[in-house]
Amino acid sequence: MLPIVSITLFLPLLGALLIMGLRKAPAQLVHGIGILTSGLTLAGAIWMWSRGVADTGFAQVEQIDWMPAIGAAYRVGVDGISLPLVVLSALLFFVTFIYSAKVRERPHAYVVLMLLLETAAIGTFTALDAILFYVFFEVSLVSMYFMIAGWGHEDRQRAALMFFIYTLLGSLPLLLAILGLYLGSDPHTFDIRVWIADPPLTGTAAMLALIAMLFTFAVKTPVFPFHTWLPAAHVQAPAAGSVILAGVMLKFGTYGLIRFALQMTPASFHQAGVIVLIFGVFSALYGAFAALAQNDLKRLIAYTSVNHMGYIIIGVAIAALATDPAIRAIALDGSILQMISHGLVTGALFFAVGMLQDRANTREMDRFGGLLKLTPILGWSFVLAAFASLGLPGLAHFPAEFQIFLATLRVEPAAIIVILGIVITAGLYLKAINQVFLGETNTKWQGMPDLSMRELFTLVPLLLLIVIIGVGPAWLLNVIHKTTIALPF
Amino acid sequence: MEQDLAFLIPEIMVLLTAVAALVAEMLRRPRLALTASVFGMLLATGFSVLLLGTDTTIFGGTFRIDILGIWAKLILLPTTVLALLLARAELGGTDREGSVYVLICMVTLASLILAAAGDTMLLVLGVLMSGLGSFALVAYPRNDKATEAAMKFFVFASVTSSIMIFGLSYWFGGTGSTLLGDLARLDTSPVIASIGLLAVMVGLGYKASLVPFHFWAPDAYDGAPVSVAAYLSVIPKIGAIFALAQVVRDLPVVTHWPMLIAIVSVLSMSYGYLAALVQNNVVRLLAYSSIAQAGYFLLGIVATGVSPLAFKSIIVFAAAYAAMNLGAFAVVMRVGRRLDLFSALGRKKPVLAIAMVVFLLSLAGIPPLAGFVGKFLLFGASIDAGYTWLAVVAILNSVLSLAVYLRIVVPMYQLSGDDSMPAMATSPTSGLLVKLVWIIALIFTVAIGLAAQPLIENIG
Repeated sequence: MLPIVSITLFLPLLGALLIMGLRKAPAQLVHGIGILTSGLTLAGAIWMWSRGVADTGFAQVEQIDWMPAIGAAYRVGVDGISLPLVVLSALLFFVTFIYSAKVRERPHAYVVLMLLLETAAIGTFTALDAILFYVFFEVSLVSMYFMIAGWGHEDRQRAALMFFIYTLLGSLPLLLAILGLYLGSDPHTFDIRVWIADPPLTGTAAMLALIAMLFTFAVKTPVFPFHTWLPAAHVQAPAAGSVILAGVMLKFGTYGLIRFALQMTPASFHQAGVIVLIFGVFSALYGAFAALAQNDLKRLIAYTSVNHMGYIIIGVAIAALATDPAIRAIALDGSILQMISHGLVTGALFFAVGMLQDRANTREMDRFGGLLKLTPILGWSFVLAAFASLGLPGLAHFPAEFQIFLATLRVEPAAIIVILGIVITAGLYLKAINQVFLGETNTKWQGMPDLSMRELFTLVPLLLLIVIIGVGPAWLLNVIHKTTIALPF
Repeated sequence: MEQDLAFLIPEIMVLLTAVAALVAEMLRRPRLALTASVFGMLLATGFSVLLLGTDTTIFGGTFRIDILGIWAKLILLPTTVLALLLARAELGGTDREGSVYVLICMVTLASLILAAAGDTMLLVLGVLMSGLGSFALVAYPRNDKATEAAMKFFVFASVTSSIMIFGLSYWFGGTGSTLLGDLARLDTSPVIASIGLLAVMVGLGYKASLVPFHFWAPDAYDGAPVSVAAYLSVIPKIGAIFALAQVVRDLPVVTHWPMLIAIVSVLSMSYGYLAALVQNNVVRLLAYSSIAQAGYFLLGIVATGVSPLAFKSIIVFAAAYAAMNLGAFAVVMRVGRRLDLFSALGRKKPVLAIAMVVFLLSLAGIPPLAGFVGKFLLFGASIDAGYTWLAVVAILNSVLSLAVYLRIVVPMYQLSGDDSMPAMATSPTSGLLVKLVWIIALIFTVAIGLAAQPLIENIG
């Protein structure tokens, strides 16, 4: 059997090494290698998809012993939770490379960092060894730091540092939790599969580990009140960086929440579920209200991310609280689908805003107007993505949020107050569309070009998937559901 | 007696090498001195390999041929070769160049004696002998800065060594013997045992630059040539750490030595990294980092006699530390001492920059590099010994250390900012020798990390 997971995982790294070797190569060639490598990675991810997942546990496991004496090894594999995220990451990176082909500022370093980030992202989702997971988790942080600091906007150094310190300090408790889980397992091992099959900690130790993990993943997700780095990082990051940050890296938090917190300390999570639920509800509402107050399009989308990630937290908390396996599976299905939808929708939105900024050099909503007439394709793309983001039926967020709310109603009906968030996001997106794309055409933007071929290639795949998932999510949900229904706890 | 001498062949080889280098230096043939030293060390390494698996004592228990002593030879002798090459690159062509090689061989011999000591008098001999050679090495450039550094070093060393000798007299009084193996008799007289222990901690703590006996280290490293600083930060330090392990393995627990060592460990790790955070001179930064790394070694020593991992972890970390620390110093030799010289190194010298990143990440303990394996085993040893809190403190310090080492890495890859940085320091050390040293160190740093399992299995 071809080790397709490892090949997919390390292809971007190989591409990065190749570019480092070609120091004199022209920018086009460098971007070409980037697009080709990420395209092959996407092909690898689709190949992984075609191999599918197992009925229980992990499929496509590849393992090389490193230090058997301490139970550390190179282990990768996927299940229904991680496989969709791997494909999502590969797709988002691929279109990001297409979009970024215009970058002429230090293209070598840019492509190398993005490829490194791609390996780190796929590694985080496929790692089945806690050490491996932690390393990928941290490497992604370093690459994103350089991405923001190197190609960001005006105040990038401060935003990059804030992002770095926040998430570095944030990941420290996870390290302690990993140590605790390691010491609790007998024989000592870092094998995530063992930790899931037989949660090593109980009682107070498990609760402490859970608190540590919740803290780490709350910063990464982000959940109110640990979200303050997110708007700063998004506003300063280049458009491609924003797409990866929101589309892929925020998922580390929610993925970790399921993989580590929920699966390794299920009993403690059940006890603490209500508190996590409250945080989720508050975060979702807070994100919606904060987004309402923004005039900067990027800040607006950043805050809607806080809102959407809040729904995922709610879904996971409901899954922890639920005692009926069917309800639990529905909540988790919704949460995982929400991760995918959010990656696609927010990716499309950030791209659209990036394209707008490339043309107008501003993101202030009140400086635009009537753009739908000037740039109809860009305009309609934004409108479609915005409608998806506010949860319109037939588009990607709807089946996800519907399942989350359904499970919420069955387990904690009071939490359904969060549905208010949908109304607010609807309002704020209509306001944004109205200000930017409808109304009087601002003469200043006369002659603004519509989307180029490169930009179409970037946006269309995402928009297509948004519609496909919205209309018929079964092909995706089946894979997710296969794993969530069989979860042992 | 003849058999005892046979066990000492590596040490005798080193001594003869030093004498041969001395003769060559007297004939004013520095290259011959270098060649002799390098071959002598390699030959001695070869003889040491033959000793693997032996566990005995010679000369009435005063000298130990055990896992610590043998692995000290296998680690320190090849490292000395690299240090000799670095010294040649930096000091080649200076007046009395050959005396540097002689002194390096002598200090290595002293460190080997420390690492295999089975007798308090050998501890004293090792500390004094390595001290004498080190002062001269630091003072070698004969400028004000080096002389001042050597003076500080000398005064500090004299005081701490005297305290150690004074304290050892208590042990002699209590046991009637200078053998470390007889220390067990002190289990009924905790006061005497503790006084001696404190004194030994002072003496060996200074050699290993542990807090609070570290004050000499940053000044001495900074005043000395970089190659000497690289040498001093590795070889005498590992010798002293191994000596401490030799002492505590026989020490009765009534002295509560594990707690004392745990406290010194916490102080060294935390103070070393906190002080390193504010340095703008890379040599001083690495000096403080080496103080912190010495604190990590103590995690293994705390577990001596309790955990089977204790000596293993110390040995693996010693090998890792020797490779990564020497490698980092070699890069500093190439680039320069000032932190700002490192900016944009990633663009100017991409391969050198990657090597430096590997050394620094390994020092910080990032998997899968050598430093991670060593530190992980140390954590395991201290947890095994019931000192989980110490391991947690060490892990927290590892995170702090990342900030320390990233202070060098980040400017290397500073993407923004101008390209018109000052050109790289053009020193006479830009030779092939430095390159050879950092490449070898890089190979070992990566190899010890990846091939950890066979290494762990083959120790002990």
